[in-house]
Formats: sequence, C-alpha cells, structure tokens
Amino acid sequence: MAETQQMKKFKTPSKGTPRAKHPISLDHHIAPQTPQSATPSAINLRRSHRLTAATPEHRPALSSFNTPKSAAKTRKICEDPPSILPTETSINPASPPPVESRKKRKFQEKSAEKRKDSRNVKCKRAADRKVKKKVYHKKVVYDGGEFSAGHDVYVKRRSDASSDDEDPEVEECRVCFKPAGRRVLIECDDCLNGFHLKCLKPPLKAVPDGDWVCCYCVARKNGEVMEFPEPQAGKKRARTAREKLLSSDLWAARIESLWKEVDGTYWFRARWYIIPEETAVGRQPHNLRRELYRTNDFADVEMESTIRHCFVMSPREFANAADGGDDVFLCEYEYEVQWHSFKRIAEIDSNENDGEKVVDNDADWNSCDESDSGSDFNSEEEAAYENEKRNRLSQSSSLRPVAANSRKGQIFGLQKIGAKKIPENLRSRKQTDLEKAKSTLLLATVPKSLTCRDREMNEITTFIKGAICDEQCLGRCLYVHGVPGTGKTMSVLAVMRNLKSEVDAGSIRPYCFVEINGLKLASPENIYSVIYEGLTGHRVGWKKALNLLNARFSDENKCRKDTRPCILLIDELDLLVTRNQAVLYNILDWPTRPNSKLIVIGIANTMDLPEKLLPRISSRMGIQRLCFGPYNFQQLQEIISSRLKGIDAFEKVAIEFASRKVAAVSGDARRALEICRRAAEVADYRAKKTALSSSDASGKVMAGMADVEAAIKEMFQAPHIQVIRSCSKLSKIFLAAMVYELYKTGIGETTFEKLAMVVSSFCANNGETFPGYDTLLKVGCKLGECRLLLCEPGTRHKLQKLQLNYPNDDVTFALKDSKDLPWLAKYI
Amino acid sequence: MGVENPAEVAKFIIRSRIADPLFVYSYFSQLPDSNYSKLKYIISSSVTEACNNSVLLLGPRGCGKTAVLELVLEDLLKEHPDMISVVKLNGLLHSDNNCALKEIARQVCMEHQLQFSKMASFDENSKFLLSILRECGLAHKTIVFVLEEFDLFTEGKQRLLYSLLDAMQSVSSQAVVVGVSCRLDADQLLEKRVRSRFSHRKLLFLSSPGEDFQRLAEHILLLPMDSRLPNDFRASFNEKLLNILAGEEFKGVVDQLCYSDSTVSHLLRFLFCAVCHMDLSSGSLSIQNFKSALPSIQRQPKQEALKDCSVLQLYLLVCMKRLEVKEVELCNFNSIMKEYKSIPDSFQTCDNFARNVCLRAFEHLLQRGLVSFQDNRGQGQSTEFRPVKLLISWHELQQGLQSFPSCPVLLHKLMAREG
Repeated sequence: MAETQQMKKFKTPSKGTPRAKHPISLDHHIAPQTPQSATPSAINLRRSHRLTAATPEHRPALSSFNTPKSAAKTRKICEDPPSILPTETSINPASPPPVESRKKRKFQEKSAEKRKDSRNVKCKRAADRKVKKKVYHKKVVYDGGEFSAGHDVYVKRRSDASSDDEDPEVEECRVCFKPAGRRVLIECDDCLNGFHLKCLKPPLKAVPDGDWVCCYCVARKNGEVMEFPEPQAGKKRARTAREKLLSSDLWAARIESLWKEVDGTYWFRARWYIIPEETAVGRQPHNLRRELYRTNDFADVEMESTIRHCFVMSPREFANAADGGDDVFLCEYEYEVQWHSFKRIAEIDSNENDGEKVVDNDADWNSCDESDSGSDFNSEEEAAYENEKRNRLSQSSSLRPVAANSRKGQIFGLQKIGAKKIPENLRSRKQTDLEKAKSTLLLATVPKSLTCRDREMNEITTFIKGAICDEQCLGRCLYVHGVPGTGKTMSVLAVMRNLKSEVDAGSIRPYCFVEINGLKLASPENIYSVIYEGLTGHRVGWKKALNLLNARFSDENKCRKDTRPCILLIDELDLLVTRNQAVLYNILDWPTRPNSKLIVIGIANTMDLPEKLLPRISSRMGIQRLCFGPYNFQQLQEIISSRLKGIDAFEKVAIEFASRKVAAVSGDARRALEICRRAAEVADYRAKKTALSSSDASGKVMAGMADVEAAIKEMFQAPHIQVIRSCSKLSKIFLAAMVYELYKTGIGETTFEKLAMVVSSFCANNGETFPGYDTLLKVGCKLGECRLLLCEPGTRHKLQKLQLNYPNDDVTFALKDSKDLPWLAKYI
Repeated sequence: MGVENPAEVAKFIIRSRIADPLFVYSYFSQLPDSNYSKLKYIISSSVTEACNNSVLLLGPRGCGKTAVLELVLEDLLKEHPDMISVVKLNGLLHSDNNCALKEIARQVCMEHQLQFSKMASFDENSKFLLSILRECGLAHKTIVFVLEEFDLFTEGKQRLLYSLLDAMQSVSSQAVVVGVSCRLDADQLLEKRVRSRFSHRKLLFLSSPGEDFQRLAEHILLLPMDSRLPNDFRASFNEKLLNILAGEEFKGVVDQLCYSDSTVSHLLRFLFCAVCHMDLSSGSLSIQNFKSALPSIQRQPKQEALKDCSVLQLYLLVCMKRLEVKEVELCNFNSIMKEYKSIPDSFQTCDNFARNVCLRAFEHLLQRGLVSFQDNRGQGQSTEFRPVKLLISWHELQQGLQSFPSCPVLLHKLMAREG
C-alpha cells in the first residue's frame, strides 16, 4: 500500500542534477546544549530541539562524521576518481537491488549477470587491458555527492527508478507547510514531525530542555482526536526521506566498499540497516523513533540506486548530535537476520575499525591514485572477499558442523548468540547516581586517563622510544615489578596505546606488539608458539616455533622481510620459570643478539626475581628495572574521585576513609575500587529497600561512611567469630575445651581422647548431658571442615589430633558472653 | 488405584516437600535481609546493570548455601528468561584447570547449541571462553559460574580462577563467579594475584537458632490448602500439629536436637524420620513420633558395634586395654594373645580358645573399625605381626560392657585392673 502511495506522489526523476545546497548555514543556528551530552549513557537519548531548517549541508556533516584526520586525507584523494554523471538512458536492468525480499537476495544470480556484462565489455574493447578488473576506490564522487566506505546512504527500494526520486530535502513545518526558512523547527519526540515554534499553540519562545511532545501526540495519548491540519488543496505534503525510510519505503545501507565495474558503472557493497518494524519481534516499547538496526546482511548495489547520505550514529554520537538535521539515525544493536537475535555493537569493534581504516588509508594512498598500480592490491582484496563469501556459505550450510571451541583460534557459530528481544529495563530506565557510580567503579571500565602513574609511564615511554627510534634498534629488556593492583599492566598498555597513535600520526616508525600473560599459557614452552603467532599469524608447535624464532632473531638472517622492531610484553613473568630456566633464558637472550630488534618488557610481582634466577639470566634482565610502589592514600583518593567525577554519589569523607584503609593494608587500587563499589551497592540496596517499603522517594541516598565501613567489614573481617557464635552448644563446649586444654598444657596440639575427657567433665560439672563420644567426634569433624580446627580424619577416632586454627583469643572473645552457655566463661 | 488413605497422601506430600530443597528454602526467601535477598540483589544487579561480579558463599555444611543459590537462580531465570546461563563446576570433579575449561566450553556449547569438540586444547578453550564472555556481554546475557567446593580450585597455580577473574576485569562482559565453600578461610587460599582480582564479596551462611526451627517446621509440615486431601482431614491434621509444635515437649526435643547440630539439613533429616514414624491409622503426627525419631538420627556407631561383639572379642578388647594401661609401647596380635593366655592362669575359667579362633575374632574387630593398624607400613606382613591400636576409649568400652546383656563378671573385673 505504501508503495502505491509513493508511486503517485513522486513524479520526475531528477537524477543527474546536483542537489541544491541550502543557503542556511551554521551561523543561523543557536548552538543548543544537550543536557546529557556529558554522559555517554545509552538511555534517555533525545534530540527534540532540532534546530535545522533543512538537511544540513554535506560538508560540515561529513567532517563531523569522519575523524578530522581522515577527512583531511579524503579531500586529497577524491580529486582523482572521476566524478561521473551517468547518462539517464542507461538504466541497467541488473543494477537496482532485488525488490521483494531482502533475505532471499542471491549472490549467484548477480555475479552471473555481471559475468555476462563483463564478457560483453571484453568483446567490445578487447584491446583495452586496463579495464578487465574491478577497480576498488576509497572514495567516489557520484551525482554530486562524495561517497566512501563507511558512509551510510539511503537506497531506493523499487527498481523502476521513476518513483523515489523527488526528494524533499527541505523539511516543512507540519502546521503551516512552509519550509523552515530562518526560523527554528522543533521536533516532536513521538511523531518526529517538525514544527515552527510560532505555529504551535501556545507558541514557544525557546526550545525546551528535556523531552518535548507535540500537542497532537499528547491529545492522541489522552484518547482525544486531534487531526493534523490538512495541506491546502492541490498541494501535497512531501515526505522526507526519513519518513519514507521509517515507513519502509526506502532502505538505508552502509557502504562497505566501493568499486568500478568493468563496464564503468559504480557499485558498492551494502550492509543493510533495518527498521524495528521489520524485525521478527517488531517494534519494542523501548525503541526510539529514529532507531535502526544494523544487520549482517550484505548485497552488492549499484551507486545509481542511492539517493543521498544519511547518518547512522552510535548512541553516544547521537546524544551529542543535537542539530544533525533530519537524516540522523541511531543504531545501537546488530540484528542477526538468520537467527532473529540482537547484539550490541561493540565499541571496541568500532575503535578497531577506525584504527584499521587509518592504516588502510596509509596503505593505499598510492594505489588509489593510479588505478593500475592498485590492481595487485585490489585482486588481493577481491580474493579475501571470495574467501569471506565462502566462509559465510560454509557457516550457513549445516552439512559440515564446525566445533565452536576448536579450529585453531577461529571461533565459529558465535553469531548464534544474541538476545531474542532487547531487554526493556536496560534502556527505558534512567540510571541513578549510585548505579552510575557502580558501573564506573567496575574494574572492567578503563578510565579515560591514568592518574598517579605519570613518572612511571614517562619512564616506560622513554625506554621504548629509546629502543625503537635508534636506527639499528638495540635490543633491550625492562623488568617492571610491584605488588598486585598497582597499575603495572595498565600503565604499559596505556603507553602502548599512546605510541600507537604516534605511529598513526607518522612520528615514529611502526612496530609490532605482542602481549602474553604467563598465567594464561598452558605450559611455559607454549610461549614460543604464541610469540610466533603474534608475529606472523601462523600457528606451529612450540619446538618448531622456537627454531623459527631463533632463526628470526639471529644474526645471520639479515635479509628478512619484516624489519619492524618487535615489542614483547610478558605479564606474570615468574610463571615462565622452569627447572632449567631455558624458556626465560631464550627469551631474554634474543634481545642481546645484534639485529634482533626485539624489546622485552617483563612484569612480575617480586622485586628480586632476577636475583633468584641463574646469573646468566639475571645479568640479561636485571639492568633496567622499574618499580611500581603501592599507592598511598592520596593517590587512591585521586584515582577513585577521578572516576567518580561528575557523579554525586559518594561523600568525600567516605572516599578518603576507604583509601586510607586500603593504603594502610596493601595499597591495591583494585581493592579500593571494589570497596567503593561494594559501598555503593550497599547504599543502593538500602535505597531500594526503603523505596519498596515506604513507597515515597525520600531524598537521595549517598554512600557514606557507614556503607564503606560495612563494605570493609565484609571484605576484611574473617567470618570465624560469627560462625563460632552461631554454632551449636556442643560445638561451643568443644571449642572451650580446646582453649582450656591449651591453657592447661601449653601445647597447641591435643588428641580427641584427652579432649573428650575435658568435655565430659565440663558437662558433668555444669548439668549438661554428655552426648557420647560418637556425637562428639562428629561435632569435632564438622568444626574441622569449617577450618575452625585443624584435625586428622575422623577414622582415627580417639587418636585424632586436634589443633585450633584461629588464635585462642578470638575463640575466647567469641565464647565469652554466650547467652545459652554462661558457665563457659569460667573455663576460658 | 481405589480409595487412598488421606494419611498416606499427607505423608507423601510432606516427605516430598522435605526432599525438595527449593521448597524448604523458600521459607528463607520471605525473610527480610536474608542471604537470599542479598545474593539475589548481587546477581540481578549484574543482569540488569551489565556488570561483572564475584561472590563467595561461606558457611558450615548443611546451612543451605547451594540451595539458596539454586533458589535465586531459579527465580532469576523466571524473571529474566533467556538472559542467564549457568555454568556449574565442582571442585571435586574439575579442580584440574584443563578439564575445568573444557567443561565450561562444553556447558556453554550445550546452552547455545554450538558444536563442541572435546579435542580442543587448553589454549583454544580459553580463547573460546574469552570470546563467549564478550559475545554474551554484547547480547545482554549473563553467565553465572558456580564453583562448588571452591577451596579445591585453589590447588596448584589457580590458572582457572585467574583467567576467569582476569576476564572479569578486562572484558566488558556480564558474568558472575559464585564460589561455594564450607571452609571459612577460602579467600585466604587465593594466590595474591588472584586475590587482588577477586571482589571479596562474602556471604556468610549460619545455622539458624532454635526459634526459627519451629517456624520452619510449621512451613514444612502444615498441609497446604490446594492438596487433594479432604478439607476436614487437613484441618484436624493441622490443628493437632500446631498443638504439638507449640507444646513444651516438642521444645525439649528440638533443644536436644540442636544441642549437637543446629543446621537446617539436620532438622530436615529429623523431620523425615519423624514423618516416617507416623501412624497411618490415627492419621496424624504425634509427639511420640518426634521423640522416637530423635535417637534414630543420633546414632552411636561405636557403641552399637560393641553391642554386637562376641564375648571373645570383648575379651580381646579388654586385653588390649590392659596392655595400654601397662603402657606397652608396641602392641600386636601376638602380644594380645599373650595377655589373653595370662588371664586364665590367674582366674580359673574355661573360656580358653585356640589361637586361630582368636585370630579370626581379631580380624573381625579390625573390620569393624574398633581396632586399627598403627600405620600403613608393612602391608605385606601378616596380620599377626603388624602393630595395632585400640580406637575406643576406656569409657566407651566400659559403657559397652555394662550395656552388654551377658557379659561375664570376669570381664568387669579385668576392666577394673584386677589381676
């Protein structure tokens, strides 16, 4: 139905004409402040005060979309690919995407047709050698717009190109049907219509903070009928591309790669977006109006069927894009079309992609300029494509099931994992300050900047730079030591991240970095194969890897391909100590060889690990050392409060108390964070309890001293006193007899027989019944199980040796004022 | 089936309730501020707020650590269907790192219908673990790792705990590691690197005091409304039961029961015995049932073993006792035999058995565990020459002799060190 409607509406194709740029530019905009732009929370996204009158010009939007660096580069490149204006007559029958169902798009058909095409072309220009291959481009200027991999575009849904082409770029006010002009349009959060501030009843003076819903939607919610004003007769209301997309008359896709076919047409590989209505579960209550899902469905699409750019953003970007225009969408989840399941899009993933993109740009800087020289590279990429396709096929075919947990480091079948429905509570709820505090105090959340370790990080940086930047790259070793939780690994990794960005910027030479954790290796020897895999990507057995590595790092092999210096980070180095210490020796010996270009950073806890090793190892390792001392309380306080910046959940004294307490014991930052997190949990638990019982939100709950105290108590206090207090009467008598016996004899160890005598005399003197030896033995064994006592197995019966596991003062303290056995006090 | 006796049905209902820990511990879930609500808060906050957590459940055996955990998981699975998967490991079975990782991979594969290969190496399995944690985190799925007998996982290098807890601090996943242990010092057993990564949340399970027992008994024994029992039967049964439970006599029984062991599982065993003693013809529980159940769960195995001994065996035991009193260092069958032979000389009796008969009796004593070899050395040697020890004390032996129906007077005298 929607399609027929649309057929009527749009009349003339306006393909070749460059789009009119709107005169309205940024200086007309009042820069709005999104209330929640500071926090990256996925919840509570809104951009109701959209101030643009029309779609923004592409240039500013693009540069905000790309990283500034890549934008600068792209501008350079885009001069080279010819901006073509395809003739209107040549509408290729194969070009538009298949119409009916996305899921049944078949690659084979298309490729067959393509082959036919290419054959034709071959016949025509048999002499021309150059055009026989697909030519991949980073950037294509097409139809007046600039397209590159990673951009999002609208794609026409229908093959007959007559319908979709009128493209109202100017959004109109829903009331007066005039374009925004210089006035401000405000967007309703519910129906997404735009309104002039003046056209509203009552008119608004300024864009309100927070959610805003238009009077029509309010009326509809209240059950009243309030029609939108009808446009004047003879004038149709033009639908914007956004409206068409959300009513599934258009498609949105992400360009994965671009190429020029042999016949000169431009194609791209599209990764489809899907609107919530098209998923298996349909629109869910928490879906935002502008939400899209990224799918894992790909297709090859001709450039001709694109309309223009749209902007699909991550929630964080979306929250910040206050005036992004009408073509801005939010995408947080990936939709698995085969299994109908959802998965969040990993932030790390996108970061990695960004990194790769930059590197890629570097790599084909030259290759894109000359399409010939790029042919090698392209064919490689093509081969990779084919592989990928084959992989996909083999995955989908159930004939050859692949084990998920084996297969040489590749893991298959994980696409099956995914939520069938996105849980509602995660998105529709607003986080309280305590909950925010809890999530930011997690060990897994990496802080934006490391505090308190500047000196050490500088030292590591100078060490690595000194080693890399020298022309011949002397091999060196650095030994980093310090007690757990003092930020050793984190600092080294932060340094490596900084260096990587410097590599990207081109100020230092590229290097390769291998990170290994000693405790995660199956055996110390395995480290060879892990290193080799990290360097080359091939997996071999450790013996072969050792030989290969020896050859690689040895002197003779001067003409090897990979001349980058190599940085090896070995965490938990002490786990590599074998009996003859051969593994450590080998690893630490490589850097000393000339031309090895290997740098080893070892991390361990003990200060004197080199001294404990053989002299030939300690002489290689012990020269440069770096000590991470335990944090003192000011540093811990700084670490915690830097994480809690902007969140009003903790009293200041509480943080200081926690950090002083931890600094006095261990100086372990993890411990301090965990204490604070636990305190926040305790406070949150309390808050939720009171909210349940009293049902009125009585003020804000902050984590205070009492909560920190409770958390510390839970962590540091051994539970034995509580257990002793709550155990049965006979167990108490038993323990008292142990203490009595200890005082009497002065020897910690006693036997069951002696103890039973004491117990029976206790019982006889105080009017308790003596339950018999067997019951007593059972009680003793139970105490031994909890490790209140250390005891031999119960089969030894009267010969069983017993000893208190905790200091007798603790036991005395716990038993002194027990209510049910007041007479115990006189024996202990 | 014909007409069923309502008493039999009631018995069946109560027994099946006692055997079902989920039902028993649902009593504790109603209490405010119980371990149930704390644990549920910890795990559910991990589910709803997408964070990692680790917690240790400590407490003596029989206090319901595992049962409460099961109850929490059951409730959470109902609340958040399809969002939680549970991986269960037991220290007795999976204390070996390699096999623990393999088991984790197997259970995860089962849960998500992935193909599992048992040939996969340690490396591959640990990589699989990391990527599955990450994927599940992205799909808002929580993995709960339950490590029973947590203390046994702390043997060796603790690679499993390290890789689990290290994943918690590096991968943005949502997983909960729940350790269950009866050792109170379980967190002290962790290696320093592992301990630093462990969150040190501890929940202590204590045995409940006597007042709770009565309410728990009511919770279990009172017949429910929605059973297929006739209404008047149920009413009279419940009324009688409440009378008993409120009575002083029952309190005495409970006190006696809690005197040695006040854990919930002990109470359950007691109630089970009591219900088994229920008289079907009267159709209700009586205080007598509870009283007779008490001795049947407080058995005295050594005393009972003595009761079944033959007179000759008692003679041998007494001889060993006498040797012990004389402080003979090394005692084996030959020296016992010597002592035994010396008795008839001083007291003119006719009980004089041949050596091989005595040896047979002695072997029986060994098998009953009243006597044991001193050490495990010399297993090739024949029984006669290996040094042995008496395992019961003087008091127990005397008690046994007194309760023995046809004990010769001579034995008492011998016990009293005459002759």
